[in-house]
Amino acid sequence: MSGLADLRLGFIPLTDCAPLIVARTLGLFAEEGLRVELNREAAWATIRDKVAVGALDGAHMLAPMTLAAGVSPDIAKPMIAPMALNANGSAITVSTALARALEEIDPVALAARPVTAAPLKALIDQRRRTGARLLTFAVVFPYSMHNYALRYWLAQAGVDPDRDVRLVVTPPPRMVEQLASGAIDGFCVGAPWNAVAAARGVGEILMKASQFWPGGPDKVFGVTADWAAGHADELRAALRALIRAAAWADDRANRDELVALLARPEHVGVDPAAIARALEGEIVFHRGAAGLPRRDHALWFLSQMARWGQVARDLDAEAVADRVYRLDLFRAAALSLGPVLDPTLVFADAAPAPSALFDGAAPTSPTA
Amino acid sequence: MRVLVIDPDPARAALVAEGLQGVDPLEVKQAAAFDEREVQAFAPDVVVIASDSPDRDTLESLREASQTNPRPVVMFVDRSEPGLAEQAVRAGVAAYVVDGLAPARVRPILDVAMSRFALTQQLRGDLAKAKADLESRRTVEKAKGLLMKERGLDEDGAYRLLRKLAMDKGRPIGSVAADLLAFANILKGDAS
Repeated sequence: MSGLADLRLGFIPLTDCAPLIVARTLGLFAEEGLRVELNREAAWATIRDKVAVGALDGAHMLAPMTLAAGVSPDIAKPMIAPMALNANGSAITVSTALARALEEIDPVALAARPVTAAPLKALIDQRRRTGARLLTFAVVFPYSMHNYALRYWLAQAGVDPDRDVRLVVTPPPRMVEQLASGAIDGFCVGAPWNAVAAARGVGEILMKASQFWPGGPDKVFGVTADWAAGHADELRAALRALIRAAAWADDRANRDELVALLARPEHVGVDPAAIARALEGEIVFHRGAAGLPRRDHALWFLSQMARWGQVARDLDAEAVADRVYRLDLFRAAALSLGPVLDPTLVFADAAPAPSALFDGAAPTSPTA
Repeated sequence: MRVLVIDPDPARAALVAEGLQGVDPLEVKQAAAFDEREVQAFAPDVVVIASDSPDRDTLESLREASQTNPRPVVMFVDRSEPGLAEQAVRAGVAAYVVDGLAPARVRPILDVAMSRFALTQQLRGDLAKAKADLESRRTVEKAKGLLMKERGLDEDGAYRLLRKLAMDKGRPIGSVAADLLAFANILKGDAS
């Protein structure tokens, strides 16, 4: 016995898996007494199932997956989110062909940033009159910030996401090729795929997550509620390592090293320039209390899940948010790190309140 | 039986075909990646997919979104993850199959996956119907109350009037009751 606890953690090859990669590679897990094996997975459903059955102890997860667990019939095992892995990072990108068509309809709107879906609405109305096929947009998973951000963006301009466009699920690494081939006309996906599409000249970014909702939520570190209850020490140790890793990943002095680390084929495995782009002023891992699993974020997700019929409208959202988003566990781990961190970062009320969405709506209002 | 195997490696499709020998008619098709049109055209009874395929999320979303042609999914799991298959099946997550299984086990596993799937679909259908029934009963109760108040009828009379309206229009009593309540609200000035 080495005295280290063994943990198996899963991740999807995306830029925002950085805290896990950094904690493992820099030996931060080991310093906290954990021997961690990182498993790269290809699908979110596989991550969820493996965590649910105990093949993985915890994983990089889409934040809404943890909220849906135990509520949706597809996810049986209750999960918790004791830490957010990043803020922002995703974006809505359309094919260059679609961007040109939107520009023709409304050059002023397309020159502005961010771009609302108003020109898209005009184009969809025009296409309907001529009997053209529905435009296809892809997201990465039904329970994802990407799905809700895209749907919100469409609906804000009067586009019905269930009737006026075709929404499909496509794995992130296939998004760019499908956009290039014309199989899809646009997508909402995490870094680095928007930057990859732009760099290859096949897509244009219309709205970044940091414009949609500055400081808005994205991925979390998720474990089952059962595992957390039986492994309180291991969980705290893992959170400490991940908090330190997130702080390291945010530090500009480490940027080049982080990019090189993530670009490795066994991690994200794409061109370092594309990874660097999203790290530049978009993804935040630690600053501004980005690691806090904020109740407001959970409530917004649940409101969107109800809005689009994924959960019942009479679901007790506050109870679900409190059960899943375990700010208390994050706070205890962060405080135990002492001087390593600015302690004010770990209190929700010490950090700025969630800002408004791009259309000025408050993310906590039920109609948002 | 029509089986679609999504896996770049033809070996698994061959294994599935071998395990299903004797099933007639049988069509096993292999695809390297998920293609919606191809799947629509083939209309498989069951899909077998490698657990390391990124297409799982797409398949899963189709299962969730489309009422038209959902289908059971069986997953192949790498042999380096011992115990996962058994745990997963026990947890009811999905039907997982361990790689390197004997062809003789293919048939029973696909059968289990299909019957489990049929059961889940039926449970979902029952649940949706139970919810709709409850909602309809509540609406009828409200409409009855309205008729009793506005027309001075007793409960039985109110119900008979609703039933007559439903029969005259050839529509379910729940939707007639809902219309009645909607109109009453408009007349009261609450058009929202």
